[in-house]
Amino acid sequence: MEVLQFIDTKTVPDIVHTYSPELKKNAVPIIIDNGSYTCRVGWATSSEPLIQFRNLIAKPRRERLKKDTIEIPQTPQLQVGNDIVNIEAVRFQLKTQFDRNVVTHFEAQEHLLDYAFSHLGINTEDCVPHPILCTEAVLNPNTSRQLMSELLFECYNVAGICYGIDSIFGYHNYHKPMESALIVNLGYQYWYCCHIIPVLNNQTNFENTRRLNTGGFHIVNFLHRLLQLKYPVHATAITVSRAEELLHNVCRVAVDYREELKKWANAEFYENNVKKIQLPFTINTITSAVTLEQQKERKRELARRLIEINARKREERLAEDEEKIGQLLDIKEMIELGADRETIERTLTEFQIKNVLDLEKTIFTLNTKIEKTKQKILAASSNIDEMEEPQAKQSKFSKMAFESDKEMYVFVQNVRKLKQEILTKKMVRKQRKQDMAKRRTAAGQERMRIISQLARKEKGNDDFGMRDEDWDIYKTISKDGGDSDSEAENEKLLEFDEILRTHEPSELGDCSQPGEAHQLHIGVEMFRGPELIFKPYMIGSQEAGLSEVIAYVLSLFNPDDQLKLASNVVVTGGLADLPGLRDRLLTDLISVRPFKSTVNITIINNASLSSWYGARNFAQSAEFMDTLVTKKMYQEMGAEYFKVHKYSNPFNASPTSIAVEGDLCV
Amino acid sequence: MNTEIQTLGQKPVFKSTSWFLSRQTTKKRTWKGLKQIVSSEKSLPWSENVVHYSSINTPPSFLPPEKLSDLSGLSAPYTDPQTRLRFANKEEYTTMIDLPMDITAGYLALRGATSIVG
Repeated sequence: MEVLQFIDTKTVPDIVHTYSPELKKNAVPIIIDNGSYTCRVGWATSSEPLIQFRNLIAKPRRERLKKDTIEIPQTPQLQVGNDIVNIEAVRFQLKTQFDRNVVTHFEAQEHLLDYAFSHLGINTEDCVPHPILCTEAVLNPNTSRQLMSELLFECYNVAGICYGIDSIFGYHNYHKPMESALIVNLGYQYWYCCHIIPVLNNQTNFENTRRLNTGGFHIVNFLHRLLQLKYPVHATAITVSRAEELLHNVCRVAVDYREELKKWANAEFYENNVKKIQLPFTINTITSAVTLEQQKERKRELARRLIEINARKREERLAEDEEKIGQLLDIKEMIELGADRETIERTLTEFQIKNVLDLEKTIFTLNTKIEKTKQKILAASSNIDEMEEPQAKQSKFSKMAFESDKEMYVFVQNVRKLKQEILTKKMVRKQRKQDMAKRRTAAGQERMRIISQLARKEKGNDDFGMRDEDWDIYKTISKDGGDSDSEAENEKLLEFDEILRTHEPSELGDCSQPGEAHQLHIGVEMFRGPELIFKPYMIGSQEAGLSEVIAYVLSLFNPDDQLKLASNVVVTGGLADLPGLRDRLLTDLISVRPFKSTVNITIINNASLSSWYGARNFAQSAEFMDTLVTKKMYQEMGAEYFKVHKYSNPFNASPTSIAVEGDLCV
Repeated sequence: MNTEIQTLGQKPVFKSTSWFLSRQTTKKRTWKGLKQIVSSEKSLPWSENVVHYSSINTPPSFLPPEKLSDLSGLSAPYTDPQTRLRFANKEEYTTMIDLPMDITAGYLALRGATSIVG
């Protein structure tokens, strides 16, 4: 079985493109496909978007002022779009201008537009002298659009603005757009939601458009968390970006989810179809073996040094004692030779000895002491050799010699039996503990019975605890069942494992490959992730799933229109290229349509870029210039004003001030 | 003062100077979240046939939710009364009872089943 690897793509910082005089002279429109996942920016004359970046900024937190430093903390570097090289490193500082699929945070939007315009190479003073074609959410609230216009006109002095809906642009980029279609936009551009947009006779029907507030973002987060829970050990190695990678490279949509689940329940099928993904790891099996050896060596070294220190100390003490006894013997000699009394007394007090008798005694004790130390030194020197011996024997499981294979087999079997015994004991204990925790098990009820019996005893003559047997009752009612997994048992278990490993290495299922413990097994998960948009209840959402919503939207039309829509379902958006999606939608759609009616589903090629292409094509057309709102119009008509066209949202001026004032007057 | 000059120096050439200066002096602006925007939009006296952002939400599901195992994702006929986790077979159950609290709670949170009422 092939083991997959994470690619962990790193973003490459964008280059600053050249701003040619032609672009400036012709005031070529700038196309901005402002999706909540990525933003794509390019000129209307270019064939591909020049820059594509995640719509994210990373704002590192200002370092806290330390009390003793007076200098002003440096404002940390703001990272925008593709400047963020390692997105996981700044995961918690990421900010986007989007709230769901609507731009709300215009400070972030400003940074991202700065990034876009400066990488296009624009160098005109105080203005961006180009019309802007910007995509926005379906039924984008006026407030959001108003602030966007304000930003583009006041801050960048753009020549004009036109807004449009990304998925409609995407649909029209499709080679042969028909008059009616049911556009299914699977959010990745607007990756917090999916849209189902009916288009009848080239008219976008907003009334019956529906938005599913579950999208790619939710799938990625779901996968991320799911794998973290499945592999708690690797929780830090499973990152959001890796979950994204999984969604793109491994995940697929099940045509029939239930059937798929039944297949996966079979162990053999699982073995054959599971995808294994290698997490990066460092080989430490060998190094740990080395350190084990090193540890032993170190211990031995330490013991040797201790012995040496002791020996030195003993020798020092011996020398000291010998010197002292020599002096004392000198004094004794002096006394024997009959030195004068005064000097003898003076020297005696110098050595803190009271009289001659005492002197004799001290000499005697010193002599025995010296004798003892000498013996010790002797013993120690012979001991060093002895110490070396058991050290060598220390690896006691280093494969014992057996006379025959059969004998070894018997021995191993015995060890295995012993091990099994301990394991069973442990299991029984665990079972008991569990039974005790519940109320309705036999063990639990027995326990309650004993407790209540104990409580029933009359006061006054309470002699419980006087007899030794009373302790047994305590043991039976304690939740651990009297004894718990003892340390000795665990040690024994380890020892048995060790013996088994040395004698039968294959026995304990040691990983043959070093990184096997660092592999993620993706089985049902590859279907479980994408299934989320069909079953939002998997994350506790009350919403209907994608197929259900499509059926619901169709049901809002009369049968003729239903047929028109169902015969041309077009799927766009970043999730559209998930394998199996078309078949799934087709089966689901057929199941809700009348028998033998026409059903047709198309997945748009290059779904994630199609809306940019569509927008570019529109910007090249003649009608584009008529849909532009200029700064003059902006000042005259108010900030929320924009021109309606085939690809845009409907314009409904907010009934704000007048109506509110009217209310107030009444 | 020092920092202000620094940031001023960073102004991209195409940005309007007046806008840039006003942004430097005014204090940090708070932006309304989508919820606030939507609720204030709803409160306005729109005419009858206007469609809003909030009016195109999907209806709730009418299909009964399937019961799927929290661990494996397989269809799960059983629920563990202690942890409230769903499981498909006894092998799953044996692994499940060994799971620490934080993992079981994580699974429940993922399914959105943490509320006591539900």
